[in-house]
Amino acid sequence: MYKYVLRRVLLAVPVLLLSSLIVFGLMRVMPGDALTVLMAESGNIGEKELQKLRKDLRLDLPYHEQYLLWLWQMVSLRPGDSLLTGERISTSLWKAIPVTLELTALAMVLGLAIAVPIGVLSATRQDTTSDYAGRMVAVSGLSFPDFWLGTLVITFAAIWFKWIPPIGYVSFWESPTRNLQQFLLPAAVLGFRLSAATMRMTRSTVLEVLREDYVRTAWAKGLGGRIVVYKHALKNALIPVVTVIGGQLGVLLAGAVVIETIFALPGMGRLTVEAILYRDYPVVQTNVMLVAATLVTLNLVVDMTYAWLDPRIRYR
Amino acid sequence: MPIQDKGPQGSRKRVTRRQFLHRAGWAGVGAAALSAVPRRAGAQGASPYPEWVSPSTKPPKRGGTLTRASAWDPPVLDPRLTQSVGLFQFAGLTSNRLVRYVFPDEASGPGDMGLKGDLAESWSASPDHRVWTFKLRQGVKWQNVPPLNGRELTSADIKYCFEAYAKEGVQTFNFREIEGIETPDKYTVRLHMQTPNVFVAHALAEPISVIFSREVLEEDGDLKKRCIGTGPFILKEHTRKVKVVLQRNPDYYDKGRPYLDEYVILITPDDATRKAAFRTGQTDFIWMASPSEVETIRKTNPNAVVQAYHNTAVFFGLAMSQDKPPFNDVRVRRALAMAIDRQKQVDTVFEGHGVLGWGVPYIYYQDKAPTAAQFGPWWQYKPAEAKKLLGEAGYPNGFSTTLFYYEYWPQMTSQVQLVQAELKKNLNIDVKITKMDYTTYYGRYVDPKWEGLAWGFQSGHAVGLDERTYQYMHSKSTKNFFRMNDAQIDELTIKLRQTPDPKEQRVITKKIVDREFDQVLRLWMPYDNGFMVFQPHMRNGAAIALRRTDSYGSPQIARVWLDK
Repeated sequence: MYKYVLRRVLLAVPVLLLSSLIVFGLMRVMPGDALTVLMAESGNIGEKELQKLRKDLRLDLPYHEQYLLWLWQMVSLRPGDSLLTGERISTSLWKAIPVTLELTALAMVLGLAIAVPIGVLSATRQDTTSDYAGRMVAVSGLSFPDFWLGTLVITFAAIWFKWIPPIGYVSFWESPTRNLQQFLLPAAVLGFRLSAATMRMTRSTVLEVLREDYVRTAWAKGLGGRIVVYKHALKNALIPVVTVIGGQLGVLLAGAVVIETIFALPGMGRLTVEAILYRDYPVVQTNVMLVAATLVTLNLVVDMTYAWLDPRIRYR
Repeated sequence: MPIQDKGPQGSRKRVTRRQFLHRAGWAGVGAAALSAVPRRAGAQGASPYPEWVSPSTKPPKRGGTLTRASAWDPPVLDPRLTQSVGLFQFAGLTSNRLVRYVFPDEASGPGDMGLKGDLAESWSASPDHRVWTFKLRQGVKWQNVPPLNGRELTSADIKYCFEAYAKEGVQTFNFREIEGIETPDKYTVRLHMQTPNVFVAHALAEPISVIFSREVLEEDGDLKKRCIGTGPFILKEHTRKVKVVLQRNPDYYDKGRPYLDEYVILITPDDATRKAAFRTGQTDFIWMASPSEVETIRKTNPNAVVQAYHNTAVFFGLAMSQDKPPFNDVRVRRALAMAIDRQKQVDTVFEGHGVLGWGVPYIYYQDKAPTAAQFGPWWQYKPAEAKKLLGEAGYPNGFSTTLFYYEYWPQMTSQVQLVQAELKKNLNIDVKITKMDYTTYYGRYVDPKWEGLAWGFQSGHAVGLDERTYQYMHSKSTKNFFRMNDAQIDELTIKLRQTPDPKEQRVITKKIVDREFDQVLRLWMPYDNGFMVFQPHMRNGAAIALRRTDSYGSPQIARVWLDK
């Protein structure tokens, strides 16, 4: 097992290196740079001044030198400063990561709270009204885009209830009540979206497992319905569900940018998208690498979870 | 097409309404009176809202927090490095200028471009307008925040600041026009200009010409993180992507002001969220683009006070690579102008609440907004004549070209597509459209190498006459984004900045505008008028021409108060 983990960690190195090359290359291929944005609409800056500023920001170095410099900064855990704001990237991340983590965690909890019971209900009452209703919820979740659902929720909350989450992010430690008010709606919207795929996967895998011999045996032994479904069937049905959840977590951590934008939450998604638009190379590169590392780690964790869920699975 | 008869610039009705508003004296009696204002029909499209919300006549109340949701986040706090609206939506509140434009409670109406002293109590120019002398107010203090700690502002501060602007950053072009600065005493600043310029005071009144502190620049090496000035508000907090909090400066030189305790700007990138925040009372004022949006808001907030903003300047138009064929031929440019139905854009894209488009604000050369007829013969929608003219220019079968743009707002895409369709239909010109992200668009647009067409802009951070003529139209100016190169325009714009007599200035400006329209040097496109919408308790927040309260016109927040 340990050898397997070590091998996976070592395999992550070329993956991350390749990611770093891709993100570095893509950012340089895009036209314009951070200075273009900074000077936007002034038109009053001469080429000399631009060159000086480029030099100050080390944008005049050859690409390979810029890459190696950045790589060294990443390895030494000093990712540098934002070209646009001058703020330390570690400081920006320190502010953005808790927001995204909180949103992700709440959305996950809400999503699972919706998905698993409805998925199981749909499977155990296949082709009944409850099943159709559950499937409709799942299809809706898959069909409604984030931006549409988020906009609708915030607009109708304002019209019907004269209330929307307070704008202006406040951390949980500063004011738990206000913080939860701010996260409730976005987490619900995101959770609903997430629940759809999980719900469908839960339904289909539970349906499959319910037809297995060992479940039939459990029924034959006279066990109660709940015990059969939740203890015998569900645990074994969860492996593909965990895969789906793992993938969703990765996507969420990469940035639920639309939801963060609608609900004015200063998370990773907004940080990354703004940095891309402003060609803030070091910020984009660092964020992408962070997401890549998170995805690699998550995949490993998901694989480990398989073994916990199904003792027959062994890694060597 | 008789667009002058049905266009949005129905000046006769507008004047009548203004006269009515002034005579009735309704303005300034508060929200209740405002809601009772009779709706006008027809003028400026179909908007039933007044163009001017006069200041309240009640004694102002002190205290309270004014809140606004803003799409813009300042990239940096350094006024030398950016002219972003993100910064100047509040920099004019933390800092002062030498001179300023009038505030709404001093203005005679939305078109009032009068100057008042800000840090300078008075100013004068030498007869040749090469030497400008500014007498500073005595006893003006920097905010009581380290490292300034409330010390007195002196002429040396102004000299240092202007020299720093000239040394590096986005304002070097303007400030390098200053040949030398003298400070004969603590309260006198004398500017020696390289060339005569009658508009120096106006340039220094622009919202971007704020006076920053020497100590911060020397301690930090830049002004990216701290914004300390002499203004009515102290920057208490700026958390990126979250909010900007401004706190009342108790030592502000204008005693008793500002009235508000705090002004909070919540960074809210999503439009629907900004509207929801206004609906639920989380924010006190908001900008809206179209009449239908205003109507929707008024269903939930019927007491909201609405100002129909009247644009006297337009910032977007079709830029042509007029230094290259086929656009170097004036007949081609004229044909394009005649083949585009701009009134249709006003009626459809802007729901009738827009203007046809012009580059130099009309208030600098006439009292009323120009009618379609005043644009001249090339600006009337005449597809058949356009086709004929294009044939005479040697393109009877049209040609292919490109157009790149950045979608500043969704309506712009509709405008671009309408232009594309009309040029194809009327002139058989195939326009290949490329929509870009902002950085790509901007980088390409300001580099004078692109070919074909661009949806061009002139920026809104400065609104003076010199800015709108010499700075944007002279062939040698770095802001000549539309790539104009017209000897007459060059001569006239230089003559204008040497002409002190306001009446003569208007005559010269009109000549510049006429020449521009005749040669179709910039093909202006319709622009929205928009609306400022206020909670009923907000007073003195009306937007003045060219200076919206929520953006570069923010200094007027110093006069806003809350009636609750």
